Amino acid sequence: MRLWCTSSQGVAWDWTWQPYVGVWLFILLIAVAYWLHLRRFEPSAWEDCTQRRRHIVFFALGLFLLWLALDWPIAPLGMGYLASVHMVQYMLIALIAPPLLLLGFPAASYEKLSDRPRALATLRNTTQPLVAFLIFNVIITVTHWPALVDPFMSSQLGTFALDMAWLVAGLVFWWPLIAAVPAWPRFLPLFQLAYLGLNGIIIRPPFFILLFSKYPAYATYELAPPIPGTSALSDQQLAAGIMKLGTAAVMVVAMVFVFGEWVRSSKRSDA
Amino acid sequence: MMPRPQEKVDFTLTDTEGEPFDFRARTEGYVTLVFFGYTYCPDVCPIHMANIGAVLDDFPLEVRSQIKVVFVTTDPERDTPERLRLWLDNFDTSFIGLHGSRDEVNEIQVALGLPASVIEETEGGEYLVGHSARVLAFTKDNLAHVAYPFGTRQADWAHDLPKLVDERWE
Repeated sequence: MRLWCTSSQGVAWDWTWQPYVGVWLFILLIAVAYWLHLRRFEPSAWEDCTQRRRHIVFFALGLFLLWLALDWPIAPLGMGYLASVHMVQYMLIALIAPPLLLLGFPAASYEKLSDRPRALATLRNTTQPLVAFLIFNVIITVTHWPALVDPFMSSQLGTFALDMAWLVAGLVFWWPLIAAVPAWPRFLPLFQLAYLGLNGIIIRPPFFILLFSKYPAYATYELAPPIPGTSALSDQQLAAGIMKLGTAAVMVVAMVFVFGEWVRSSKRSDA
Repeated sequence: MMPRPQEKVDFTLTDTEGEPFDFRARTEGYVTLVFFGYTYCPDVCPIHMANIGAVLDDFPLEVRSQIKVVFVTTDPERDTPERLRLWLDNFDTSFIGLHGSRDEVNEIQVALGLPASVIEETEGGEYLVGHSARVLAFTKDNLAHVAYPFGTRQADWAHDLPKLVDERWE
């Protein structure tokens, strides 16, 4: 029984389903924790019923995408066979699921954080936009560095660590944009757009390695039983494309939302 | 590096065109990579062939033309010459595929210091063929000074093969 997915370890890819019990427990744990958290709020703490449903839908969607990235077939394909699928996994875990999970919490959740001053202080230190930007980009660079990725992907603990690093990096990155802690200064929309835009255009070293290296960078994918019609190098170049264009696309979508919200709030204050 | 260089062995098997292939005569003066495997192999064989093929594709013609790759099937029942040719063409159309009886091929492997291949039954009446994962690299002096295990990467091949061509393997 495997708790978490690892690299292929010499076994050829087939479509036989494999259970990853650790992933199910992890997702279940998050779902239960969220449900218990929501139960602490009186109905009056919610903006209204529609808002409540919206938060729950966002959280459920985020959790579903997280589960999709961590379980069969995306996880074994991404951890053992195709660098391009590995990059899809990264996109889901670090860039798409975290904002949805954060949107799953009502304003009251963020207000409640003031009851825990130490946690609040730690969060404040790590999620200041400049710090969050640095943390995210350092983690993403390190967790795509071939010399580190190959040994990590050969063990369940290693792949768990990689997945968690992406998730934490994503939560830290999106926190300043989504988590509205009332006691903190507002992250102004113009700076939010700059924050997202910069992250969309920044070129991290792994991108260069993946796109321009003459030979496959990751032993994991080069020495995995090949999937017909693919070569390790072309798959790696596709991974570089997904990393760059995928990140840029997510940032553009987020910028559209921020801009739209900015325009709406300007109109409200004018009225 | 091999502790003691392995001498070439004289043998003649059938190539994928159905013609006899005299190994020593046809590889004389070339760097020759020899690998024993089979086309139904789920892992080692396609990985080795794909990596060697990708690297050779990148070499200048003057280096590329001095290297031959010989793949000897350890599964003569299933690897028909046609299937062998089709499979090798996935990696490089210049790869030489050789076919002989199981006993002949096992004798050659043992003479080259490799273990004889063994049949491993699997579910549903199918079978795998256990075989050495090493690629023997014969240089122009007809000796294999180096053997490449499974796990050899494209960067390793790209580094080593030009050196073998220039007879600089020390």
